Amino acid sequence: MYRDTDAAPDEPGGQSPGTGVPGATDLDHLLVGLQLTDSAFPSGFYTLSHGLEGFVQEGAVDRDSLPLLLHDLLRHGVGPSDATALALAHRAAAAGDWEAVAAVDRRLHATKLSQEMRRAAARTGRQLLDLAAEVFGTDGVARYHREVTARRAPGTQAVAAGVVYAAAGVPVRQAVAADLFAFCASFAGAALRLRLTDHRLAQVLLRRTAPVIAETTCQALARGFEDLGSTTFTADVMSARHERAEARLFAS
Amino acid sequence: MRDNVLRVGVGGPVGSGKTALIEALVPILIEQGHRPAVITNDIYTQEDAQHIRRTLDGVLPGDRVVGVETGACPHTAVRDDPTMNLAAGAEMLEKHPEVDVLFYESGGDNLTLTFSPALVDVFVFVLDTAEGEKMPRKRGPGITTSDLLVINKIDIARYVRTDLTVMESDAHRVRGDGPVALTDCLTGKGVDEVAAFLESRRKVMV
Repeated sequence: MYRDTDAAPDEPGGQSPGTGVPGATDLDHLLVGLQLTDSAFPSGFYTLSHGLEGFVQEGAVDRDSLPLLLHDLLRHGVGPSDATALALAHRAAAAGDWEAVAAVDRRLHATKLSQEMRRAAARTGRQLLDLAAEVFGTDGVARYHREVTARRAPGTQAVAAGVVYAAAGVPVRQAVAADLFAFCASFAGAALRLRLTDHRLAQVLLRRTAPVIAETTCQALARGFEDLGSTTFTADVMSARHERAEARLFAS
Repeated sequence: MRDNVLRVGVGGPVGSGKTALIEALVPILIEQGHRPAVITNDIYTQEDAQHIRRTLDGVLPGDRVVGVETGACPHTAVRDDPTMNLAAGAEMLEKHPEVDVLFYESGGDNLTLTFSPALVDVFVFVLDTAEGEKMPRKRGPGITTSDLLVINKIDIARYVRTDLTVMESDAHRVRGDGPVALTDCLTGKGVDEVAAFLESRRKVMV
């Protein structure tokens, strides 16, 4: 995890090769996380509402219930599925067990019920691997990208992120929390465009969600492969209706 | 992306004739032996994709047209973060490997829209005479730096108080050597020139 600047440099992770700056590795991990979670990072996330537009179209969410919906989606949807998959994929990639990475990928893909959710996850995941191979230039990312290009694995976003974070040496807990934050920032951005919040309340929402991100991260890290996947009846029904809607702004 | 595919970005204000231009170009390209496909970026619906499928029914198979949602940000989808368009393009070429011209139609936008060079090889910007004679003078990167500026709806210029001669000469003035094409996409007038321009770019790039 990220520590303060005066932290001992010989802690797990150690110093970056070729740098003599104490704590340089930790800072580098922080910078990787900042780059990947930056809303300017081309993740494709701004085209997704993560189910929110479906709720809006059914009149099932308003300004007051928005935080509750986000927290429920984190605890019962994203947490047991994407966040758990990211943690499992990260550990497997760090151990060089690419068969296990692909197994997590296939299982996560299979547990996403609606076509739009599967498509959104696969499109963003494949493009992330393609881009990260160039940006981070690590063998692990390029290797898994080839697996996905050859259609031996679906290349879901969470698993792709797990592979990228592992390849960059970012610790698993930090990686899961960072990706959950990226999800929340994207959700808040979609809420803004759907007129469910404004620029100030969106930031309040994000800050008040931090404890739920922390809780969801801890739970995701404790789950095993057998527990990967979520069942969220309402969100799944909303998504199924959304993908058949006559008009929509968002791909999910 | 395969390197024998010419990727053409078509942008411009709402209603200027981006869809109409593509619908007029596709039959010409097919006639020339090309195999086009179209990716539309609708703001809120699948309207453009469905319009193209209907208009080109019997000319272009329906599965060569696909709509991509842009999360209310049409400019982001083709410039800052073309992730979803790149993914849709890759899927199209995987399903239809014979495709050799890929159109990306941007959602109707304002004059600041540009296409990412990572997404397209050629950027075509479409204005129309009904937007007003002053449009080229307003400049904006699409008008001044696109690879081809199309001024569409030349047939109605006189009904909307636009002097086409002024509009055309202003366009040349703000674009330097950049080409300008005058079209009426509904009758096909001037569209051959646009097709010839695309062919010339293909020879340079492919």
